[in-house]
Amino acid sequence: MNPAVRYGAIGFGVLALGAGVFFAPAYLNAYLMYLLTWIAIYAIAGTGLTVLMGWTGQIALAHAGLFGVGAYATAYLAGHGWPWPLAALTSSTASAGLGALVGLPAARLRGFYLAIATLAFGELLHQAFVQLTPLSRGPQGMAVVPIQLDGIDTPSLVWYLAMVILAAVMVTLTALGRSRIGRCLKAVRDIEPATGSLGISAMRYKLLAFAISAFLAGLAGAVFGQLITFLTPDLFDLPLLVIFLVQLFVGGVNRLSGALIGAIFVIAVRELLQSHVVSSLVPALVGSGQTLAFGLTLILVVRYLPSGLASLPARLRSRRPRPATLSPME
Amino acid sequence: MPPADVRLTVEDLVVGFGGNTVLQGVSFSVARGFTGLIGPNGAGKTTLLNAISGYVSPTRGRVLLGDRPLTSLRPHRIARRGLGRTFQTPRLVPELTVWENVMLGLDGHIGWDRKRSHVVSLARVEELLRQLDLNDWRDRPAASLPFSSQKVVEVARALAADPLVVLLDEPAAGLGPAEVERLIEPLKRRVEERGLAVLIVEHDIELVTRLCSRIVVLDFGQLIADGAPAEVLRLPHVVNAYLGAGVAAVG
Repeated sequence: MNPAVRYGAIGFGVLALGAGVFFAPAYLNAYLMYLLTWIAIYAIAGTGLTVLMGWTGQIALAHAGLFGVGAYATAYLAGHGWPWPLAALTSSTASAGLGALVGLPAARLRGFYLAIATLAFGELLHQAFVQLTPLSRGPQGMAVVPIQLDGIDTPSLVWYLAMVILAAVMVTLTALGRSRIGRCLKAVRDIEPATGSLGISAMRYKLLAFAISAFLAGLAGAVFGQLITFLTPDLFDLPLLVIFLVQLFVGGVNRLSGALIGAIFVIAVRELLQSHVVSSLVPALVGSGQTLAFGLTLILVVRYLPSGLASLPARLRSRRPRPATLSPME
Repeated sequence: MPPADVRLTVEDLVVGFGGNTVLQGVSFSVARGFTGLIGPNGAGKTTLLNAISGYVSPTRGRVLLGDRPLTSLRPHRIARRGLGRTFQTPRLVPELTVWENVMLGLDGHIGWDRKRSHVVSLARVEELLRQLDLNDWRDRPAASLPFSSQKVVEVARALAADPLVVLLDEPAAGLGPAEVERLIEPLKRRVEERGLAVLIVEHDIELVTRLCSRIVVLDFGQLIADGAPAEVLRLPHVVNAYLGAGVAAVG
């Protein structure tokens, strides 16, 4: 395609998307906006897992806890008079620090052992949300001070905030993936033993990936607090981790677009399971039955579509029969 | 007596795994140009490369790059001091293109301090792709390359950071004669232009004698010969240990 046409098409697409995002609150009902905002937040969190698990090949099961750190810390700081952006940035940075701490065992642990270590850390964070009542109010829950901006209602503001952050994260990570850092992360994933001979410190890049991933989880958590407006520890427990994993694997582990596709999938499935028709037909799928459904989905996707939905177009293209051609000899 | 212009010195290197001593007090040096490292399977050649490049910790002895000791440094720090290497089986990132894989050879050296300019890096990668005839493959993912081209890409990557010394672990293994020429001729030119020192482990004795001005021979972890190919390949204990009477005539 002619570059001018291509860039024109991309420019038009970006403008159309921007207009869609801008005008969505005016045309869509409040519940749909709520779901779309939720999708954007999960997509932000999902990109963190793409960097860590997809690009760097590290198993990390503390994502739900780190998401909670962003939510609780931002709510706490904003509740004590901090401007929301500063509170969110500080909380996400704190989450990145904790993420790097989670990554420390990655120097010596791999596979199953790393999974257990990070899972334990996530559970530790969950227990902290329960026990540290002066900070989190424990099981009683913590109300979130809503962000305000003159002329915009809070749900619309949260929607814009989520979409702006998602767009910034996607652009930044796309650039990062094509940069020196992205190449080094993928080298750690695929040829870790050889990275030393290239002057690459695998440990350093693993820690960087853990920190980036945790930062994004924290940032998503900060916006999530604004969406949900009331935080309780059970929001950041094992079921959320299962949802993140389903999102990652259904969408596609290696692709940033997979985080968004996976987020759409998990929210759509959750809504479907909660719908009146399904819940009346299969009451077991309400509540904790959802985690079971998501767990089954995870098993099926890993078995039948290991590269996720984001890989489907490429797979279909490769299966499409090519038109028969005759060689000059024939 | 060590040759002039020594780049790498191995002194009394001992490496053991459990109760087995794999390298037993190995000493030699590597100067500019090609130095061959030969020996039968299990002689300790790859272990020696691993010990030099920091993948294995020696129990005794030391390795010097120029006059700077490398012993006890981690592999990435040794690489940053100017030691490049390849592996018996190419270790490329399958998803990355040829250009990106070669660039990876510089990425770790650009490091966090950005001492090396990005522009210089790009120019060097372009030069290597041209010299090693990889331009036709540059935008293809490494996974789609034939084995011989993967080997060439790995050599290009090892040369990308302009190291002082390069360790090549069986670069010609699995390649046909034409593919060996495609790899070796540009490599020779590059080594001459840049004044590199190359320690090459290779079973193709003809190739070793053609390339190398010196050969060191390992057998059961001991250095049994060190000298010019013509002399070394005639030594009876070298013939007995490795070559066999028929091949000795090559020297």
